[in-house]
Amino acid sequence: MDIVAKGKDVNRLTNPGPDDKLRAMFEGTKFEDYDAPLFFAWQINAACNLGCLHCCEDAGHSMPDEMTKAQALDLCRQIVDMDIPYVAISGGEPLLCPHIFDVCKIIRDNNISLKIETNGEFIDEEIADKFAELKMRSVQVSIDGASPEAHESLRLQGDWKKAIAACKLLLERGVTTEIVFVPTKFNIHEVGDLVDLAYSLGVYGVYTGKTMRIGRAATNWDIICPSDEEYEKFFNVVQEKATQYEGKMKVYYYPYDVIEELKYRLESPSASLLVLPNGKVKLIGPLPFLCGDLKKKTLREVWEDYKVAWRRPEVIEFTNRVVADPNLLAESNNWRQVSSS
Amino acid sequence: MNFTEHTKIRKEKFGTVVFDTLTEKIFITDEIGSEILELVKRRMDVPEIVSTLADSYDGDPEAMKKDIAEFAEQLKSNKIIADSAQE
Repeated sequence: MDIVAKGKDVNRLTNPGPDDKLRAMFEGTKFEDYDAPLFFAWQINAACNLGCLHCCEDAGHSMPDEMTKAQALDLCRQIVDMDIPYVAISGGEPLLCPHIFDVCKIIRDNNISLKIETNGEFIDEEIADKFAELKMRSVQVSIDGASPEAHESLRLQGDWKKAIAACKLLLERGVTTEIVFVPTKFNIHEVGDLVDLAYSLGVYGVYTGKTMRIGRAATNWDIICPSDEEYEKFFNVVQEKATQYEGKMKVYYYPYDVIEELKYRLESPSASLLVLPNGKVKLIGPLPFLCGDLKKKTLREVWEDYKVAWRRPEVIEFTNRVVADPNLLAESNNWRQVSSS
Repeated sequence: MNFTEHTKIRKEKFGTVVFDTLTEKIFITDEIGSEILELVKRRMDVPEIVSTLADSYDGDPEAMKKDIAEFAEQLKSNKIIADSAQE
């Protein structure tokens, strides 16, 4: 007897990738068949203390129409009601959201897996204690170099030492801690040393992949985008490190770029939702399309709208145009609602 | 036996989704797999599961025991379940 039903083998949910083998494995299981999302990515706020050149959101200031605390907590209850198993909260910088721990508490009280994606700069002993108490799935800290120089040249106003200290505080308390590294011309050469540093700290895993040409990263593309040669060396180093630390620390790299991801997603959208700070729901980060507003509709209604939106001609047509002309990725934050009929 | 800390189970019309949220891997089981998972949720061990399913299905109890034990081993090796003392 096999653990997996025929034709339904292992997959990686949040980044299944355009791999032919994975496509075959998932054949017959379409996102439309799911009663609810399996994964909920929630950008809870837009405020951020940093001005990263490669930010995929152009975060900085709060949006004027962000969800209130009451709306956010109501959304949490809907997440619970729909039995969504896994939530990842990012921002902006989520620790600048005044009700972040109220949100975390509802999610964790209902045994939903929770990941927080943070720059780590606000994690002191008290915050680390709170994360430990919540028994998080993980806290993911952005560290873009093995040295302060590389990290801080990219993450403007950033403090590498604070991010490292945050990892240590979390790890001392037994919090599963991950590091995410975004390669750019400023820091791509440090990836090997960063993976070694992560291992010496004792983190659970390091995640990386090609920089996405969206948000502020699209604006700064000419100065941050590594060359093909730099990427080739980068992936060789990451592959070596993944082998070196196999069984000791997870080194995960996503080898495809955003265009390949879009081609795959057009065919196989994921069973996940991406929610913006104002409650609007995007189809996927690199596309400008919105499929609903959680201030006006229930989560269950928006999930059904999401399924329909991916099949709308305007979405298919625009996605194909982006695939042909990646410059159109710069429009990813010029949000527009997918028509309902 | 019980599910490991980061494993989430959800029934869908096409089967049961087993989601290891730590590794971000999912499995989808068939109907019998779904029943076994329901019994794991009730913290039954392999002999208890065999005994419970033997009441519902015809067939050789020894073969059933072997199949369920294999299934449980696969779940354990994928860190979906653990013996209660190892949780």
